[in-house]
Amino acid sequence: MSDSELDQQLLQAHAEGDKAALVRLYTRAADRSETGGDLDAACFYLTHAFVFALEIGAPEARELNARLVEKGRAHLLEP
Amino acid sequence: MNKPTQLAPVMASVNTANGLPNAHYVDPEVFAEERAAVLFGNWAGVGFGKDIPETGDAKPIDFLGMPLLLVRDKDGEVGVFQNTCRHRGMILVDAPKKITGAIRCPYHSWCYDLKGRLRATPHVGGPGQNRHEDVKLDELGLVRIRSHVWKDVIFVNIDGTAPAFEVAHADLLERWAEFEQPLHAGGGSSSFKLEVATNWKLAVENYCESYHLPWVHPGLNSYSRLEDHYNIQKPGAYSGQGTLVYRQLKSEDGAVFPDFAGLSDKWDEGAEYIAVYPNVLLGVQRDHAFAIVLEPVGCERTVEHVELYYARSSTGTPELDALREANAQQWRGVFEEDVFVVEGMQRGRHGMLFDGGRFSPVMDGPTHNFHHWVASQVAGRRTTT
Repeated sequence: MSDSELDQQLLQAHAEGDKAALVRLYTRAADRSETGGDLDAACFYLTHAFVFALEIGAPEARELNARLVEKGRAHLLEP
Repeated sequence: MNKPTQLAPVMASVNTANGLPNAHYVDPEVFAEERAAVLFGNWAGVGFGKDIPETGDAKPIDFLGMPLLLVRDKDGEVGVFQNTCRHRGMILVDAPKKITGAIRCPYHSWCYDLKGRLRATPHVGGPGQNRHEDVKLDELGLVRIRSHVWKDVIFVNIDGTAPAFEVAHADLLERWAEFEQPLHAGGGSSSFKLEVATNWKLAVENYCESYHLPWVHPGLNSYSRLEDHYNIQKPGAYSGQGTLVYRQLKSEDGAVFPDFAGLSDKWDEGAEYIAVYPNVLLGVQRDHAFAIVLEPVGCERTVEHVELYYARSSTGTPELDALREANAQQWRGVFEEDVFVVEGMQRGRHGMLFDGGRFSPVMDGPTHNFHHWVASQVAGRRTTT
């Protein structure tokens, strides 16, 4: 998936309020930025993935939070 | 309000007292005064537990301009919060919804759990930086409003000054201790509301007394005569009426609703109807109960939210669906018969020369008990401010 396709899918997921898709797509964007060595961009996307996961109670929330904590970018989510 | 209303005549003996002055029904400034002293300073009803039955159910309401959020948390407890984000004051939830994870503010996505604890502050320290040393999660949870659920009614004390609910209503809790058992909302037509052009207090006052029954509810009076009723009045807390001749509704084939368990003989033909000050009207009978929350949407506008409850669930007793429907229609008819009265009294209070009225020393004790309480609340607030 190209960056523009990812952007398009993100916009569509926002428009549809599809939170599960937002978690998945923002995580993908974060992974891509992290691989590319852009830590700030990765944390930006991780933040969005985490927030939507937290909102819908998705199990990914803890792992996404852990990635942010590891980078010094968030408080550890309490149980 | 150019000068404070005169309350001393209201607090005289019922034999000689006047009712609350007109301004308490028609003046927006007095309405605002009562909002603080009477409705925010005591345990007011704002909704029903049945409306948020499952974990994560959230229902926003507006109570006299105060945005509140009713939530059922993961422990099954009802919580009430100010429906306002601690960040920029955005309304958090604007329609009933199921919260599956966290309450996310739609503005900057600060997130709160069902206990109101702040869980996430995205980008608060800059892009991708979700913490800041000066933004402490444990200091910025949602503002919790004191709440208590009784008879499925969600009571709140907005200003936090009232005694604990169990203390404030200890006498009534004891009086109706036999009815401390599960209530099952009737569902469907057992839930309805009436929008009435009246000040909320007139609905309380009319509910309290049996004096009007033979005139306004002749159908009821055919078997439940005036002399079969008694006054109930507890200074400072509640008042109402009781009947000695409650008659169960029966279907054509003789079916009745199952009784609440273990009731004493008193309730075989007894029933009581009590106004829990300020704005909740309750009724208990051997086989069903009801609760009415009066929502004061304006000085001269009130919404009466009515819910009927039974000893057994409707899903467990589908054979009684028709009887529940008949019972709901019967009560709805009774409450609708009262509409012209409370609206008429409201219009009457625009009569500038009305002096608050005089009470029947014998029949109007419960109503005067309420007037006295309201006057005491308002006068007490004036003394302290």
